[in-house]
Amino acid sequence: MNSEPGAGPATGTPLSVRGISRRFGSVQALANVDFTLESGEIHALVGENGAGKSTLAKIVAGSIRSDAGSMSLFGQPYEPLSRREGAAAGVAHVRQQLSLVRGLTVAQNLQLGRPGAPAVFNAAAARAEVERWSDEFALSVPAETLVDDMPLAVRQQAEILIAVAWGARLLILDEPSSALGPLETRALIALCHRLRAEGTPILYISHRLPELAELADRLTVLRAGRVVVEGADVRAADLREVATLMIGDVTLLEVNRPEIERGSTRLRVSDLSISSTQEVGCYGLDFEVAGGEILGVVGIAGNGQESLAKALTGQVKLSSGHVLVDEVDISGSAREAIAAGVAHLHEDRSTGLAAAFSVADNATARYAGSRKFTRFGVRLPDKIARHARELAERFQVRPPEPTAKASSLSGGNQQKLMAARELEKNPTVLVAHGPTKGLDPEAAKAMRDRCFAAAQAGGAVVVISADLDEVADLAHRVIVLYRGAVTDAFPIEDMTSERVGAAMAGLTESAGATSG
Amino acid sequence: MADVVADGDLDDVRPTTPADEERRLTTSLSTSVLAVLIALVIGGLILLMSGENPLTAYSAMVDGAFGSSFALGETLSRAAPLAIVGYGTAVALRAGLITIGAQGQVVAGAIGALLTAQFFENAPSAVAIPAAALGGALFGMAWVLIPALLRARFNVNEILSTLLFTEFAALLIEYLLNNPLKPPTAITPQSEPYPKNGILGLVVDGTRFHFGVFAAFAIGIAFVWWIRSDRGFSYDLYGENPSLAQSLGISSNRVIINSLLISGATAGLVGWMQAAGLLQRVYVQIASDIGFFGLVVAFLGGATAGGVLVAALLFGALQSGGLAMQSSEGIPASLSDIIQALLLLGFSIRYAPQIIRLTRGVMANFTLIGKRRA
Repeated sequence: MNSEPGAGPATGTPLSVRGISRRFGSVQALANVDFTLESGEIHALVGENGAGKSTLAKIVAGSIRSDAGSMSLFGQPYEPLSRREGAAAGVAHVRQQLSLVRGLTVAQNLQLGRPGAPAVFNAAAARAEVERWSDEFALSVPAETLVDDMPLAVRQQAEILIAVAWGARLLILDEPSSALGPLETRALIALCHRLRAEGTPILYISHRLPELAELADRLTVLRAGRVVVEGADVRAADLREVATLMIGDVTLLEVNRPEIERGSTRLRVSDLSISSTQEVGCYGLDFEVAGGEILGVVGIAGNGQESLAKALTGQVKLSSGHVLVDEVDISGSAREAIAAGVAHLHEDRSTGLAAAFSVADNATARYAGSRKFTRFGVRLPDKIARHARELAERFQVRPPEPTAKASSLSGGNQQKLMAARELEKNPTVLVAHGPTKGLDPEAAKAMRDRCFAAAQAGGAVVVISADLDEVADLAHRVIVLYRGAVTDAFPIEDMTSERVGAAMAGLTESAGATSG
Repeated sequence: MADVVADGDLDDVRPTTPADEERRLTTSLSTSVLAVLIALVIGGLILLMSGENPLTAYSAMVDGAFGSSFALGETLSRAAPLAIVGYGTAVALRAGLITIGAQGQVVAGAIGALLTAQFFENAPSAVAIPAAALGGALFGMAWVLIPALLRARFNVNEILSTLLFTEFAALLIEYLLNNPLKPPTAITPQSEPYPKNGILGLVVDGTRFHFGVFAAFAIGIAFVWWIRSDRGFSYDLYGENPSLAQSLGISSNRVIINSLLISGATAGLVGWMQAAGLLQRVYVQIASDIGFFGLVVAFLGGATAGGVLVAALLFGALQSGGLAMQSSEGIPASLSDIIQALLLLGFSIRYAPQIIRLTRGVMANFTLIGKRRA
């Protein structure tokens, strides 16, 4: 612990980064980066996947070290050797993958690993502290609910709250809004502004440009490890130009929606209800999707999307109703759903892939138990590897190396690998849950094209997403979920932010009836 | 490094290459050798402190483990049951299930084998021997059936339930060998001698190397087949990511129940082997510590075919060598227990991350007992 204590006075520039470089193997992740975080500001760091944003964040937080360059924190030289040292110096890094320990409560997480925490856990004191901070920031973080039982947005608030309680003088938020719906994002922005008002500068990493205008004061653009724009005033900046600088190719953002011929009804959902103790269920859903049609399901995260995705893919027992694919009832049987040609892009890549398994095993996992690629019940590794390489190349998984572990791929390539597994054959029904979430523009475009291709091949596509832009890019028709019920349904042309916002917030008459 | 790549920040920086795999394998091999060496050095220090010459002790141990056909037979007949239990446990472990009930299933298997053998007392050996093996395996399966069903249906933690059933088995065998199964003339709790037509003969006379040891090879081959099979892959997939496996149509109940039944069957087979081959009678201590050391072997062997084999041979050699050292040099065999314990400790630290990953779900359940999943 050679860094200064976190309790010291916050004088001097909160963070100054000079000439930082970092190389991973053959990739120059960061090259001579200069960057300054001023006091009382929210500074947005934007760039594509792989631009080096997270690497920079990790260097500042102390989880990894730079090859060259220097940093100073509140005027003092700063050279953290570990994340723990960074935390002791007052730098808190809230990551994309949250680090709260599951199976524990927020109060327990608050004390776990806290510098200077008493050896014996004082439940009452910890609870009181969580409640105090929660009140101070006008949040409703429950102190004694298991982390597992909390929605993602609340977990994230809890993690920020813990960082502040631990004495963070500088906060790094890495892609905090990528899994949040519009209302939750709004709450996050409010929380950031409150933190700024309390004097905590924030380094805010994001792909999402629109929200930055409201959120941030200045922005820095990274491209391929280099600073392209440093500390521009967000309010004066032209976000379209920023997007161009970020990706160097603005046409990717404009989606060309292909003309798709409409077929007959392929997916028929009638009177679908699910009651679940784990998550929000579904109540009385009725809808149909035709071949060639893309239905968008929007709603704030945690309003029944999980249950719906599971129902459409046969993974959950229904309390009532049916899910018919080409008039075959697949409710409650994942096996029948697969046999009927239902494909599922999972929302979370960590649950949608076997991370410790190879690319080959992941790409062909849909055949598990089907005896394809086997002789006398034994799998044929060469055949599997060959097939996987073909699939990986067809779906542009980089590297298309069958023996590489899935966990060694980048997020975009993991998503492509999942698509390769699910979309090898044209699906009858594709359930795409947040298909472009957290992807860079190029990978996002590839995933959109996969959805269009599935529809063009005559499949019924259901896109479930908290991201309205994603749905607007893809869907022909939209239904809005609120607390597991449909509050509004309209063709995409009628989607206005007022209408969709009201339905998502449960402000329509039908919502009053179901939620009352 | 892994941390960096896993976050998906850098595209394609470090795919795992065969060279990486090789390096990892070499590293894990050298740490394993190192762990054995450290255990031997600490054991040597303990010997020095108690005034013995470590070199004499160790050479007596090696001699007692490999030095003669008797010693080799002893090592093999001790390693075989550990390997069999290890392979069975490994199947469950790979599916993400931690069964620690092998001890009780060995006991149940021994009882099952004895009862079956007594039933086929007048049948030809070609019938009686396989029948008793099957009987042992079925009793072992029966002993894990209730924990398996409880886990599948109510998510009852299998560590707790299988441990409890080991306790039941201990009580049951004590009752049986003191009452219905005890010969009228016997003073201590034991069964009648194992029926002659069901006994597994010796491969080499003057040793305890009996034909049952070959069952370990058969089970080893079956295990290699299993991990390469389509079904084995499905079970491994479930162990790695249960929700993905279920979404791909792999039945959670089937994986849980079948993999636990497989582990029960192998442990039951060991009960048969010990009764029909090694001891030729059933005693209260028939399972010795095989059940527990078999789990250790599965863990230390990383639930892989070669790893389990090597770990079983190592522990078999330590046990037979320790006893030989005691009889030849008068150094207590508990020294070999100490070395085994040190090895276990060393490997636990080495494999702590993997073990924690394997048990994380289970540990989470501990805190949830009674709270969730009605």
